[in-house]
Amino acid sequence: MSRFLARRLAGSVVQVVFITAIVWVIFYFVAAVTGASPALRIAGKTASAARIRQVEKMLGTDQPYWEQYLRFLGRLARGDLGYSYVENRSVTSIVVPAAGATASVVLGAAVLWMLIAVAIGSYGAVRPRSAGDVLGRSFAVLGMSIPVFWVAPMLSVLLAYQPTQGELFGLHILPAGTRIFPIDGYVNLRDDPVQWAYHLILPWLAYAATFAAIYARYVRTLTLEQLSEDYVRTAEAKGMTRRRLLSRHVGRNVAPVLIALLGTDIGIALGGSLFVESVFNIPGLGYTGISAIENLDYPLVTGVVAFAAVVAVIANTIVDLVHGLLDPRVRLGAAH
Amino acid sequence: MSAAPLDLETSAGELDAPRVGRSNRQLVWARLRRDVAAMVSMGILVLLLLGATVGAPLAAHFTGHPPNELFSNAVSIRGVPIGVGEHPYRADGIHRNPHAAIFPLGADTLGRDVLVRVLYGARISLIVAFGATGLSLIVGILLGLLAGYLGGATDAVINRITETAMAFPSLLLAVGLAVVVGAGLINVLVVIALFSWFYPARIVRSVTRTGKDLLYVQAARTMGARPRRLLFVHLLPQAAAPLLVFGTSIVANNILFEAGLSYLGVGVPPPTASWGQMLSDAVNSGMYRINPSLALVPGLALVLTMLAFNLLGDSLRDALDPKERR
Repeated sequence: MSRFLARRLAGSVVQVVFITAIVWVIFYFVAAVTGASPALRIAGKTASAARIRQVEKMLGTDQPYWEQYLRFLGRLARGDLGYSYVENRSVTSIVVPAAGATASVVLGAAVLWMLIAVAIGSYGAVRPRSAGDVLGRSFAVLGMSIPVFWVAPMLSVLLAYQPTQGELFGLHILPAGTRIFPIDGYVNLRDDPVQWAYHLILPWLAYAATFAAIYARYVRTLTLEQLSEDYVRTAEAKGMTRRRLLSRHVGRNVAPVLIALLGTDIGIALGGSLFVESVFNIPGLGYTGISAIENLDYPLVTGVVAFAAVVAVIANTIVDLVHGLLDPRVRLGAAH
Repeated sequence: MSAAPLDLETSAGELDAPRVGRSNRQLVWARLRRDVAAMVSMGILVLLLLGATVGAPLAAHFTGHPPNELFSNAVSIRGVPIGVGEHPYRADGIHRNPHAAIFPLGADTLGRDVLVRVLYGARISLIVAFGATGLSLIVGILLGLLAGYLGGATDAVINRITETAMAFPSLLLAVGLAVVVGAGLINVLVVIALFSWFYPARIVRSVTRTGKDLLYVQAARTMGARPRRLLFVHLLPQAAAPLLVFGTSIVANNILFEAGLSYLGVGVPPPTASWGQMLSDAVNSGMYRINPSLALVPGLALVLTMLAFNLLGDSLRDALDPKERR
């Protein structure tokens, strides 16, 4: 186990260095080449050459590229993400609360989508080609084809806005002013857990829909694969109940694969949450990143992306370790 | 379920008919022909293609509304755009003008024709999706062949890059890159390709790795085939089926990607119509709450297109599966 751990952690460090290098290349190197350099953005279009050089010196972008990158890495290693000149605060003080909001959205949605996916997927696998399976698979294809940034506003019209106006589908079914779900806003978990969940129900639903669809397909395929294995026939032959077979034997073989898939998708989910955040006005990483991009606040953008990348790598590492714990083949490197 | 009796019929018919050898391509096509979902989604895609090429200028001609022209009489005096199938207002912005041409799918907040813009938006979606997919396939195939054929350090480096790239929040990076390189059709296309080449690379790599040890490939090598011939004539065709399936679903993903970038305002710059931008205009102005069709129309266009590509991808996977006996 310790060898596996060491190998995996070394891999994570390489990943972090690699990702931060890309982030840095995009926002400093490419930006300088395309004329969108941070110094130019801060100093403004009408600034004199001397003023631009002064800003460059302040930001340290007058140094050679490799030195800038090493400094950037060194600061990152100390947990210092830089200083946002637009917000006039350190990037860390902006990013950390935002990460809490994003974690609330992504983790809550992940629980929801896993529950939905396991329900739909395992039903479809146990009763393939039944009406329920066909329905479930249709839901899956539909869910994969519906963008989050469309589900979110539609949900907010149907469940939040129209009821507030006292009508649903043009019918006056509720007294005007009824509030079923809040349209936007975010309440900190520590301030009020009930309000926190209440405000996040719509974002969770909107975000879980797409992933639930994808994961329902995974669960169905994986379970069907397991059900055709010899051990299942043996267990059935000796009279094991269906429920026990599924939970004790099939489930245990499916779960590690699902967890591994979840690990690779957490990174994608972190990035994708920016749509949900922008529609429901949740001050998370995506929302912060987008507004930073709009304000051309490069230190904040770099900080948000680097932070999200590091979190994704950490999540991946944890998931891989759990996967290794659950599945000895992974731990011993025989799976490849 | 309803497919079962139909299968029995065809197989009975085949028994009576004299046996004819059929190539794999014919078999695949025959399977696709019998697949309702595949045929429906192909129909939708043909309609989409027609709509984007011929339909867009035709709609602009018959409604008399060019895609980027603002019609001030299509927005009421209170700033609410007219809805589906309504006539524009008179100059007072309150009363309708029954003689003016209707807006079949209503107007947007700036008074532009939604139908015409949705059709022109399809062009952008298709150009970006196919362009980016093509580009990512080229890059992915080349790197995958290299990694799979050379193995060793090249393989390790390429593999590490693809693994890392697949795990990190690429959307945020893509948005950042799009901002840095600036808005534009070609830029968006390249950004999307940059973030989607690793999947084809993985497919081609694994096919090449297992394929280069096959007997016929070794035979070709002993007969003096150069690496280039081995790779492109003998190994790459083996990846054709998974690449076709994958390509179909990645087109769907790239349509979504483009819409997402446009939604965030870093895609194809306005006033060029694109579905993502129409959605974001509707949502960010808040007007979708008063007139949901503003978000419904581009959203449904997007969903229908994605659905067609996803269903076609699924059907292709089934049809190309050699284990399928039909």
